[in-house]
Amino acid sequence: MPTMGGMQDCEALAQIYHETIDSKFDDVEIDMGNVNWFDADLCAPFGAILYSISQQLNNVQLVNLIPHVRNALARNGFLSYYGSEWFTYGFGTTIEYKRFDVKDDRYFAEYIQDKLMRRTEIPNMSDGLRKKFQESIFEIFNNAVIHSGTKHGIFSCGQYFPKRQWLNFTIADLGVGIPWNVRQFQGLHDLAAAEAIDWATSDNNTTKRGSVPGGLGLKLLREFINKNEGEIQIVSDLGYWECSSGPPKLAAMERRFPGTFVRICINTGDTNSYALDSERSNSNIL
Amino acid sequence: MKTMFELSVYEIVGSSLCVAASDGQKVYERLKAGLNEDKSVSLSFRNVCALTSAFLNTAIGQLYGEFTEEKVRTLLALEEIDADDRELVRRVVETAKLYFKDKNYVNRVIDEERGV
Repeated sequence: MPTMGGMQDCEALAQIYHETIDSKFDDVEIDMGNVNWFDADLCAPFGAILYSISQQLNNVQLVNLIPHVRNALARNGFLSYYGSEWFTYGFGTTIEYKRFDVKDDRYFAEYIQDKLMRRTEIPNMSDGLRKKFQESIFEIFNNAVIHSGTKHGIFSCGQYFPKRQWLNFTIADLGVGIPWNVRQFQGLHDLAAAEAIDWATSDNNTTKRGSVPGGLGLKLLREFINKNEGEIQIVSDLGYWECSSGPPKLAAMERRFPGTFVRICINTGDTNSYALDSERSNSNIL
Repeated sequence: MKTMFELSVYEIVGSSLCVAASDGQKVYERLKAGLNEDKSVSLSFRNVCALTSAFLNTAIGQLYGEFTEEKVRTLLALEEIDADDRELVRRVVETAKLYFKDKNYVNRVIDEERGV
């Protein structure tokens, strides 16, 4: 079964935010000397944090990168945002790091097609799995667009691990966070952050208001990952929520993440059928 | 004047990736215009290769806040849609019906919590 790095990676990212939150008009050096492995898809939340630092008109630099970490972060284009030349040897098994504005949903869809679905390095998944995977990514992106209220964009990145048959993909935003939305909706201001995430991923719960209904995106994602025997991590504000097989794991982060990131790990060797029988589809569904 | 007209999701969106709520709104506007005039509408999903709940909530789910279930069921027909996309529409419709059924209640609870 696929596994991702646990909560400690998320804590480390949140720590960077907290140690730099008061910097302004400064040079901020992130010392990567002790980092000997970096899951490349985590460039999405890492990039979100660095973006928030540079928004305070700080000059951000990553220093003391060991060669294989430098290579990983260069290959997906991440380092080119921080002073390095564009890596010209192809993306390999990485899915390019990108920042999008909330109105870029069309552009994001094309990015997923070009950088993920049409790439020969990406595994040959069944048609049903490929479609479900693609739609899951769009659901996460839409969730950020609709609910985060971010003015700083949406960050995404992915990594494929051929030998393990895992594909990680992460989407991050610097918005209000799921707990804030759920507390506003429920009026339960003492609801723990992780419980709020759990609420948002369950049943028909939604924080949506107004004329357009909602409340399905994260549930669909959870159902798919469960069937695929993959894994989801959601970090939002002080909440950490993780789900693979069995009940989800809920925990409180020591430091808050300034937004939300959703990380999925899919099992690309999945041979489940995702096709539905036609008999069920013939009834009037409206 | 025609009493039934056909709409193509692909033509309205201009892409086979029907994933954005903003694109769903374009479909909704056309459906709403037809249903407002009591026209029967055939909505074709030919050439659509990806759908999301956000797109469908906006395009179809939103109709249930504007029209009765009976009117939507009578006047709207979905054509050339894959079985799994159809299942997604079914869930969106089910969720939308619940949403609009409970919307007044939910808004009332929130207003009470806020002391409005």
